[in-house]
Amino acid sequence: MPQRVFVTGVGIISATGNGTGENLASFYDLRTGIGNLSHLASVHSHIPVAEVNQSNEGLAEIAGADLTEGKYSRNTLLALIASQQAFADAGSPDLSGRRTGIIFATTTGGMDLNERYYKSLLQEGTFKDYIPFFDSADCTERIASYFGVRHNITTISTACSSSANAIMHGVRMIRNHNVHRILVGGADAITRFTLNGFLALEIVSPTGCRPFDQFRNGLTIGEGAAALMLESEEMADPSRIICEITGYANVNEAYHQTSSSADGMGAMMAMQQALEIAGLHDHDISYINAHGTGTEINDLSEGRAIEHVFQGGIPPVSSTKAFTGHTLGAAGAVEAVFAVLSIRHQIILPGINCLNPMPELTFRPPASVLKAVVNHVISNSFGFGGNNTSLIFSKA
Amino acid sequence: MKAYITANGIISPQHTHDATGLPGHFETRISNRLTCIEPDYRTLINPILLRRMPRILKMGLASSQLCINRSGNIQPDAIIVGTGLGCLHNLEQFLTEMLSNNEHITSVLPFINSTHNAVASQIAMLLKNHNYNVTYCHRGFSFESACLDALMHLAEKHAEHILVGGIDECTEDFMNLHGYLEYWKHPVDTLGLLNNKTTGTIAGEGSAFFMLSRESGNNASIALRGVHTFVTSDDAPAHEIVSEIDYFIQDKGLHQDCLDLVILGMNGDVRYDKIYDYLRQSYFTGKTGFAVYKPLCGEYYTSSAFALWLATVVLNQQMVPAPVCLSPAAPVMIKNVMIYNHIRNVEHTLMLVTADG
Repeated sequence: MPQRVFVTGVGIISATGNGTGENLASFYDLRTGIGNLSHLASVHSHIPVAEVNQSNEGLAEIAGADLTEGKYSRNTLLALIASQQAFADAGSPDLSGRRTGIIFATTTGGMDLNERYYKSLLQEGTFKDYIPFFDSADCTERIASYFGVRHNITTISTACSSSANAIMHGVRMIRNHNVHRILVGGADAITRFTLNGFLALEIVSPTGCRPFDQFRNGLTIGEGAAALMLESEEMADPSRIICEITGYANVNEAYHQTSSSADGMGAMMAMQQALEIAGLHDHDISYINAHGTGTEINDLSEGRAIEHVFQGGIPPVSSTKAFTGHTLGAAGAVEAVFAVLSIRHQIILPGINCLNPMPELTFRPPASVLKAVVNHVISNSFGFGGNNTSLIFSKA
Repeated sequence: MKAYITANGIISPQHTHDATGLPGHFETRISNRLTCIEPDYRTLINPILLRRMPRILKMGLASSQLCINRSGNIQPDAIIVGTGLGCLHNLEQFLTEMLSNNEHITSVLPFINSTHNAVASQIAMLLKNHNYNVTYCHRGFSFESACLDALMHLAEKHAEHILVGGIDECTEDFMNLHGYLEYWKHPVDTLGLLNNKTTGTIAGEGSAFFMLSRESGNNASIALRGVHTFVTSDDAPAHEIVSEIDYFIQDKGLHQDCLDLVILGMNGDVRYDKIYDYLRQSYFTGKTGFAVYKPLCGEYYTSSAFALWLATVVLNQQMVPAPVCLSPAAPVMIKNVMIYNHIRNVEHTLMLVTADG
């Protein structure tokens, strides 16, 4: 029998705040984290982004990391903060031994250091001590080292679905009896590399993203990190259980490298397969935390997929990216934490900036936090390469 | 759970892409870098697609296509790729343009192709494959993580065949940057890499794909029995590594005497080869033979995928090629092969490959 998998702790740092309390308050106050670039120097400083409101020094202080002793990418600092919170929220459980692990996800890892030092490195060989911190694995390995975890460590990088896949991998590691406790999550810092890449793709909103609005004009790059402590039924302290992860699926749309199909075939398959694994029907779902990037094609394709899967009635749908921006490799974990909060506090999270609902769709995101009975939440995360993941969080 | 290795396709610095077993001879050169011997891609990939395709994508698509062809055109139930550094050249291209042009970008293609999961998703697109598609990017664990995921998929009973690959490319910038960290030797005779008792190693690259199947095929009886990964501090005492090897072997129901051959990730760097010497001299008994593989493919994060290929051909052909055999006499019967590799004493990986019967 596969083990049931419980979430026993969560942690988050995003543009809407440090910790679950600040993030929740932002939802209640309808306060977006989208604003101007202030910590990253870029010629594109006029483009709205959702930046974590801390310098690297500030983040290091929160993380208890000594920047004079060790070298940290912004990505790793964000990840450490979220992981420390999840660990504490879970009651600081024992992470030693061969049956624990850490799975993290990122798209650009230590790119902030890479883009800062690359030129002088190649020209003069200066700053060479930073090279080992450029890659995607550094963040995961540093968290593992911080918590003394030595086994079942890996990093997933599948574009914007990266950390949803890290969560799914963690769940399967428990269900397959490879581990009984595993910290999963994702992190991405805003970098010039990412900002310029998405600008060149011409899918960045000049005004701030408006998910599911008829006049939406692109996504807003965000940054942040989130982490979840997952434990097997055998190990979890019942008093610490927040919710259960019951469904998960990853499918590939195999349609286009950077775009989704107009009919939302990939999104549809991901949600349907996740429901199947969970043994649930569409009418069991209380809330959908959509991928909802605010690009023309994503919201149409995902919206159509939702209408197709939930033919018996569409539960409340919102995209929290109007608050946090699109945190890319962290998005799956950030929104997983929101799904967990939705169940923990029995609330539906709002979607702001949707003033004119899309005429192609029948639903519109709730405009404020709603009290509701929340039993099952679907969280969608879709990435480049047609990589589509749906996760289902259930009241335990 | 075990996974039968029912097909492979591999592009490496050796003549592996056109051979089904061991190539006729091994390449050597005077260098600190081994680059792949690439096939005529037009025979494997639509030439129209090839035109603007980055080299790492060509290598990944061609080797996975070779593997699919040899599997009898199986449509895999999952595509899982491990890559330490992903599409590195594209990343460098985009980064360089961004930095030299003050963030004025003229071509977005390198950015699109720099995504770590570009290889896995392009394979899916070519195969029109809608199944599970995940990419692991964790240094020396990347390929092993992909293999573990595949083993879990087969255990979860909804998969029959999984396409698993390990791929990394070497670039000029990568050589230069890591030269500053003293990763490389001065040019050496690459096949004689281990005779150079100095610091540094030779850089390598490669793309190796395998079809891992629940059932053995008609003539395939070689199986991946398990993988084990762990990190240590870079100055960890030998007994820490030994206890993990003990655990892994016992967990698979074996004893160290049962291992006929151990393929070691020795890379000629005197700073990091000590543990391999210790294991040969003080841990394994006289019954176990030893082989190496990095003189053939160089050092890179997913080199263990090359080692897995070597294990399968050794088991198939029941012989260890002389240039990579470390024992005076190769074992007579080879049934159980273990691969042990580590990256700078930090990421350690073990894989067990066995032949049935």
